[in-house]
Amino acid sequence: MTAPDIRVEGLVKRYGHRAPPAVDGMDLEVRPGEFLGLLGPNGAGKTTLIGILTGVLAPTAGKALVHGMDVVKERHRVHRLIGLVPQDIALYDTLTAWENLRYFGRLHGLRRGPLDQRAEVLLERTGLRDRAHEQVRGWSGGMQRRLNIVAAVLHAPPIIFLDEPTVGIDVQSRAAIRELLQEINAEGTTVLYTGHHLEEAEMLCSRVVVMDHGRRVGEVADMQRGEGRERLEDLFLRLTGRALRD
Amino acid sequence: MLQRIRAHAHKELLLLLRDRTGLLLVFAMPLLLVTVMAVVQDAPFRDFSDRQLRVLYKDLDDGPVGAAIRQGLEATGSFTLTDGRDLTDAELRDQVRSGRHQVGVLVPANASEVVAAGSAHAMALLFNPLTGDSTATTAPDSSRVWMVVDPTVKHMFRDLVHGSLVRVLAGISSERLLADMRVRIEALTGNSLPALDLRRPFVGVEQHLAAGELHGDLVATDSTAHNVPAWTIFAMFFTVVLLAGNMVKERTSGCMVRLLTMPGGTAERITGRIAAYLLVCLAQLALLLAAGLWLLPLLGLQALDLGAPDALPLLLAAALTIGLAATAFGTFIGSVCRTQQQSAILGSTAVVLLSAIGGIWVPLYIMPRAMQAIGRLSPLHWSMEAFNTVILRQGGLLELAAHLVPLLLFAAVCLLLSIMAERVVSSR
Repeated sequence: MTAPDIRVEGLVKRYGHRAPPAVDGMDLEVRPGEFLGLLGPNGAGKTTLIGILTGVLAPTAGKALVHGMDVVKERHRVHRLIGLVPQDIALYDTLTAWENLRYFGRLHGLRRGPLDQRAEVLLERTGLRDRAHEQVRGWSGGMQRRLNIVAAVLHAPPIIFLDEPTVGIDVQSRAAIRELLQEINAEGTTVLYTGHHLEEAEMLCSRVVVMDHGRRVGEVADMQRGEGRERLEDLFLRLTGRALRD
Repeated sequence: MLQRIRAHAHKELLLLLRDRTGLLLVFAMPLLLVTVMAVVQDAPFRDFSDRQLRVLYKDLDDGPVGAAIRQGLEATGSFTLTDGRDLTDAELRDQVRSGRHQVGVLVPANASEVVAAGSAHAMALLFNPLTGDSTATTAPDSSRVWMVVDPTVKHMFRDLVHGSLVRVLAGISSERLLADMRVRIEALTGNSLPALDLRRPFVGVEQHLAAGELHGDLVATDSTAHNVPAWTIFAMFFTVVLLAGNMVKERTSGCMVRLLTMPGGTAERITGRIAAYLLVCLAQLALLLAAGLWLLPLLGLQALDLGAPDALPLLLAAALTIGLAATAFGTFIGSVCRTQQQSAILGSTAVVLLSAIGGIWVPLYIMPRAMQAIGRLSPLHWSMEAFNTVILRQGGLLELAAHLVPLLLFAAVCLLLSIMAERVVSSR
């Protein structure tokens, strides 16, 4: 059996001594090439978990491994293997799309020629090529979201983390992003996705894990075996309750 | 690693180039400040030989003493005299009070007579015992030159006029005494004596600078020599506002989260940022030096004297160190502020305060003693001392190092605190 790309054991994260844990003894494994959906209501601990797995946050206890490497002790090696699409638009809005991509690409050690080729392909695939020399601040939310993803996969990482990548955008942009993510996954990239769109998770994910109060509360093991939308929504509400999470 | 540092530096420069307000703040504002402040501060800095005091001169004596006072005042080169003979005393006072003239000088009608009588009295006291003349003489009535001063004129200018008048009057009395004495000795001995020239004192005064030669009548520190380095330092430190603002924006926009998941660490990001802003600081230096060399002379100010060409490497070393301290300070402000408003207010207030107490607006030596002690703690004061050591004092590397070492330590502390602050943020 192949080793998991992501492995989490008894992970705990507290933001203060008195605060309840944001992640509370979480266990998780993501296999190579898998498209795993991590779903949960607001405050469930999804973003914190991604923060720890990408080396942005330090865990309070437990272990988190990416490609077999400890995300705390071998953070710099882990960073070469991952791409992150953060919840916010992580782009410099006064720079053009090209300038943003060249900057992030060079930080990943890409040379000018291969970097430009890869950027051109991705911009073409996301319908952004014609406006790539404009400053990003003049773009629509959907265009910025698409570029946000392109910046994360520019260096073709084997593992990508998506933290609500399609929040607040129109249907067309969401469809384009979905297609891009499916293509990237089909090329063998392991994807850990978080979001609130159950329909989107059903379309994209091969497996879904439901989180609440920092813990894993349920799982839909095989999304492709006819376990439909109704079932996922019912499962989600049963596991996390109907109380509002503001 | 070098590629990543270059990428960070390139990105910082692009962000700066796209920020028009920022460019105005970094380049146009210092240029405007150095021009305005140099012109405004020109008068206080200028040598008194520039005929800047307007004196209204009313000579009621119409004799040799009145003429000699006029000639003596004009000879100092510090005053422009206007004839006020036709004015009444009240009109003369009014013209001075209104500021049209800074000083009024009124020579009384009997000034020549009083000098002559005073000298005659002195001759009688000296020579009557020798000639057996027993005629009793009395001291003449005293007389005074009247001086009226505009209330807004500084004490140093009043003292300058008063001192010049006292010196001229003392010279007139001495010359008259010597001339009368010569006449009396010639009468006693029957011999003709040579004329003596008392215009040159037996012991003169010669001025030297502690460094280099004094050029003509100019003092070492003029408005240009103070303001160009002062506002260059201010401009370099004011990049703090921009740098810190960009850092906070990077953190709040989500870019920092992305950067934290990419190869390379805090040290590379900071090094790239410092490299970019050092280039900005050097561009500021070039711009303001050019203003000092070519723009300010067009406005009637002294051209900046950079000293010997071999001082240029030292000037560059000083500028790079000051730029490093400014950039490190900006990085620190950017690390501890949570919003762009915070960084803008904290950064600009800190720089304005440090510059005010550090002798940027006015030289430290004219501040009260307590403020001077506080001002010496400002990194902008160390920066000013570094530039003054190179430009005015013509100091060497060792002398310069005495001012650069505190700046380097300041930069190191700021960077250390910034790295610690960033680690605290990223480990939360």
